[in-house]
Amino acid sequence: MAKGASTGQSSSIVARGGRNAVGAPAASGGLRRRPTRAAGAGSGRIKESVMAFYTDDSPGLKIPPVVVIVMSLGFILFVTVLHIIGKLRG
Amino acid sequence: MGFKVLNLVRPFLSVLPDVQQAERKIPFKEKVLYTAVTLFVFLVCSQLPLYGIKTNSGADPFYWARVIMASNRGTCMELGISPIVTSGLVMQLLAGSKIIDVDNSVKADRDLLNGAQKLLGVLITIGEAVAYVVSGMYGDVRELGAFNAILIILQLFFAGIIVICLDELLQKGYGLGSGISLFIATNICEQIIWKAFSPYTVTGARGAEFEGAIIALFHLLLTRSDKVRALKEAFYRPNLPNITSLLATVAVFLVVIYFQGFRVDLPVRNKRSRGQQGTYPIKLFYTSNMPIILYSALVSNMYFISQLLYKRYGGNFLVQLLGRWQESDYGGQMVPVGGLAYYISPPGSLSEVAANPLHALFYVSFMLTACALFSKTWIEVSGSSASDVAKQLKEQQMFIQGHRDTQSSLKKELNRYIPTAAAFGGMCIGALTIVADFMGAIGSGTGILLAVTIIYQYYEAYQKEKEQMGAIF
Repeated sequence: MAKGASTGQSSSIVARGGRNAVGAPAASGGLRRRPTRAAGAGSGRIKESVMAFYTDDSPGLKIPPVVVIVMSLGFILFVTVLHIIGKLRG
Repeated sequence: MGFKVLNLVRPFLSVLPDVQQAERKIPFKEKVLYTAVTLFVFLVCSQLPLYGIKTNSGADPFYWARVIMASNRGTCMELGISPIVTSGLVMQLLAGSKIIDVDNSVKADRDLLNGAQKLLGVLITIGEAVAYVVSGMYGDVRELGAFNAILIILQLFFAGIIVICLDELLQKGYGLGSGISLFIATNICEQIIWKAFSPYTVTGARGAEFEGAIIALFHLLLTRSDKVRALKEAFYRPNLPNITSLLATVAVFLVVIYFQGFRVDLPVRNKRSRGQQGTYPIKLFYTSNMPIILYSALVSNMYFISQLLYKRYGGNFLVQLLGRWQESDYGGQMVPVGGLAYYISPPGSLSEVAANPLHALFYVSFMLTACALFSKTWIEVSGSSASDVAKQLKEQQMFIQGHRDTQSSLKKELNRYIPTAAAFGGMCIGALTIVADFMGAIGSGTGILLAVTIIYQYYEAYQKEKEQMGAIF
């Protein structure tokens, strides 16, 4: 579901005071930023709200991201081949 | 008891595909790369025709939802993101109405909810694929043959799984934003560009004309001798994209961007480091485009069910109450002409409003109420309600100035703003959609609103990324 598109609640703290080393994580990142989970801390609001739902691994068939890409390219190739075979036979 | 329902999902979790969580910080360039590849796959899929379909003509029962659902007729993206959006809507309604009990702070619960949503998405994909084929959208099943029919269902199914995986891939930290927003925004932008610059010619009563509004403007200005009339036609031609609707699109775009800046800044201070002060902004569009996504999911599903029922049991009184449908004059699309479906569809023009003011009134009030309600329930489900935000702030030792340093006082203070912002923001989004629709913005009011809010989110994400890069180097 489009958690990504969701909740545009702005959670950046605009630091007015001293932007020192202690305050820096809170000042530059989002409020949901967790230092340990670097991936979640990254790209801003869109994902932050998403991360609320998706941070933790759920039990399931684990697939690395590259496999997803390969899988989709394979699918495209498969359908294309189907079309070609269909043309050749027809 | 409700919790038990969710537990039913557990056995299926192990067979659902699940993209690995990003363990390291993905550099911005890599994210862009992943996003680009995802977009490429999506664009190819939405041009690649399905293998084995015989016909692709006849009324398209989904023409109004195509843009929002990022789907493309007769291609692998036939279903688009509709399974994900619909399953999200259902889950939200279930969780919001407390039929299933979810405690967002418990990890196992959240996992189960995600799993349930994905499972439902897969089931809806299968259901829709079978329904499309059996209902004869690609030609009569007997004509297609069992082999081809199964092949089509398989293609649709795999495409659906791929969309779910790609969406998850982006969400899990490998890309920017979510797949859904990316696909919707791409689809709508593509449509706007196309409507503005399309080089196709359409032969109508006034002779051959270019489809693209801007190309048509120049074409008309150059070829016609009466420049004023040419200009008039370029601006107001009916049935084809004209300059007025293009300008309306731009105007809506600007207005939404302007409204994005509306916010209440709550002054906060850090308890740990005394000197640090800051603001916690609560935006007017607190839930952003979520209300319209959910609204369009609701309406499009209702339209679909109503149309199906009307085709089969058109004589039934209850079915007629839900919606009566008729083929429109041009395009051969089915348009609602009566019943509930008619009253929640936008009125086409001013004269239609004058002819049936009740329709317009009902439409506006339904839209606004639905958006406000969706927005309010969404903050609870997505974990951005006052108590959630209060908890986060407390974790960071942030407290509102001039109030006690407790979570409950934080919550009380936030509660003054967040629900109001959510409900009112949802209403504003709804109102803007109506205005955009009425001004005839290209890609429908809903579409343009979605596109603008998504693009704005990307812009914000980019800004933040840049800020962080600056902080590191």
